[in-house]
Amino acid sequence: MTDIATSLWPTAVGASTGFRIGGLGDSGTWLLSGPPATDAPEELISHLARLGLPPVGDGIRASRAQVRESGLQGRGGGCFPLASKLDAALLAPGEPLVVVNASESEPASRKDWTLCCHRPHLVLDGAAVVAAIVGSGEVVIHLHRGATRATAAMERAIAERRAAGLSDPRWRVSLGPDRYVAGESSAIASLLQGGEARPLFSAVPMALRGPSGRPTVVNNAETMAHVGLITRTGVPAWRSGGTPSSPGPRLLTLVGSVPDPGMVVELIGQATIGEILSESGHGQRPAGVLVGGYAGTWIDGDIAWRTPFDRVALDCLGAQPGCGLLGVLPHGSCGLSETARLVTYLSAETAGQCGPCVNGLPRLAKAFSELAVGSLRQRGLRRLILLGDAIEGGGACRHPDGVVQLVRSALEVFMDDVARHVAGRSCRGAAHPPVFQVPGVNLRGKGWK
Amino acid sequence: MSIVVRIDPTRCRGHAICALLFAEGIELDRWGYGRVLETSPSDARNTRRAQRAAIACPNHAVVVFDRDGRSDPSSGLGSSEG
Repeated sequence: MTDIATSLWPTAVGASTGFRIGGLGDSGTWLLSGPPATDAPEELISHLARLGLPPVGDGIRASRAQVRESGLQGRGGGCFPLASKLDAALLAPGEPLVVVNASESEPASRKDWTLCCHRPHLVLDGAAVVAAIVGSGEVVIHLHRGATRATAAMERAIAERRAAGLSDPRWRVSLGPDRYVAGESSAIASLLQGGEARPLFSAVPMALRGPSGRPTVVNNAETMAHVGLITRTGVPAWRSGGTPSSPGPRLLTLVGSVPDPGMVVELIGQATIGEILSESGHGQRPAGVLVGGYAGTWIDGDIAWRTPFDRVALDCLGAQPGCGLLGVLPHGSCGLSETARLVTYLSAETAGQCGPCVNGLPRLAKAFSELAVGSLRQRGLRRLILLGDAIEGGGACRHPDGVVQLVRSALEVFMDDVARHVAGRSCRGAAHPPVFQVPGVNLRGKGWK
Repeated sequence: MSIVVRIDPTRCRGHAICALLFAEGIELDRWGYGRVLETSPSDARNTRRAQRAAIACPNHAVVVFDRDGRSDPSSGLGSSEG
């Protein structure tokens, strides 16, 4: 293991070397290293030649220890330690159900799509190891129905592995509706159980008992890929690719006012958001940075510039790494108008189940849109703030809380604009074209299956 | 007996009966939907009231669990899922 580590990962990052940023196929990256961004997903032969065989049999015991010692946190948004999930599943009765969540519901995030389309075997390696650790014979790979290219790449990779006779679990590809909350883990578990792809309420964690009655381990595609990586690099090298509180390398999607919106980069080591953006070709300090997803947190541009992309550092600003989205808002645009479009999108993309989403979010979206166009006054603003308090904490999933967090951070970061809008003065960014793209919300005829 | 009360927000439709029957443990949000107050002690009286609220909810949204996370059989309700 050490030999592989030193030969393949010659530049394990120490404190002195700082950080590296790279894209698909760049040397020096870990998750994204390999063939360049051609149309074809990496073939099994190339993948195994690069990384060697994934662990099997007795090697799985070591893998379990590696996952625990690595401190790997889920990369879907919750930052939940993977080892705790696996321990829960091992503790609970029944054969666990292992799911790779490759649906990537976050509209601007492209990292899981990139992994599925270009490094499918790294994801599958990790999923196979996770299944072996918890003693599960089958793994479900879940994608949105519209993600045809990623689905084709995964199916092709599975066929290659079957033909090669790898000692894998049974693979099953599952497709769900192209809706935002349908990618939430309990919604996927519900769909797999024959229900609708809507989040479920449960008093017990799914890793202990999912809707099928079996322990259900749902992990983001990037999280699985990291497991595949850790078994090759070993724990110390892998951990050195991150920070003590956010160990390991990380994929980020850069959107908004960046040279190539939607570009996925891998961060190895510790870097500030400013360093990440400069290194990726965006040298100008932005007005604000949206961190963690569309239902994420705004950070003031100057503050974000010197904030490390690290769980603890972001937590100090009320933000989370989330799915690794960095949205760059340029000066001269209006953060309130951008936020209004995001809130409107997110409030339309609920499952329509719980009080906070049914009663609260449409009102919140309406009030915030009024603020953006300048028709909200002081009293309305106060009502908007109280509305957020009323919505928070009451849903089956975290969707409404995420929207409230987005709204609160916008009011704080764009405080000056809020004052101008509420006072009825002209908006400084009114003429600026939209920075963040939101998918059209056309839910007509879209079911939950 | 030690209990945990939960409201399944996917089922709650704001009938507000739970808060009438178990005012010590359930408050209403501004739309009349129940929210569990985590501060209420789980003594015998509250347990009885929580179970009454669970039975009275037309949508079976109030669920009373024992500490093992099982739905309390004496409340006459199934599991929280589905």
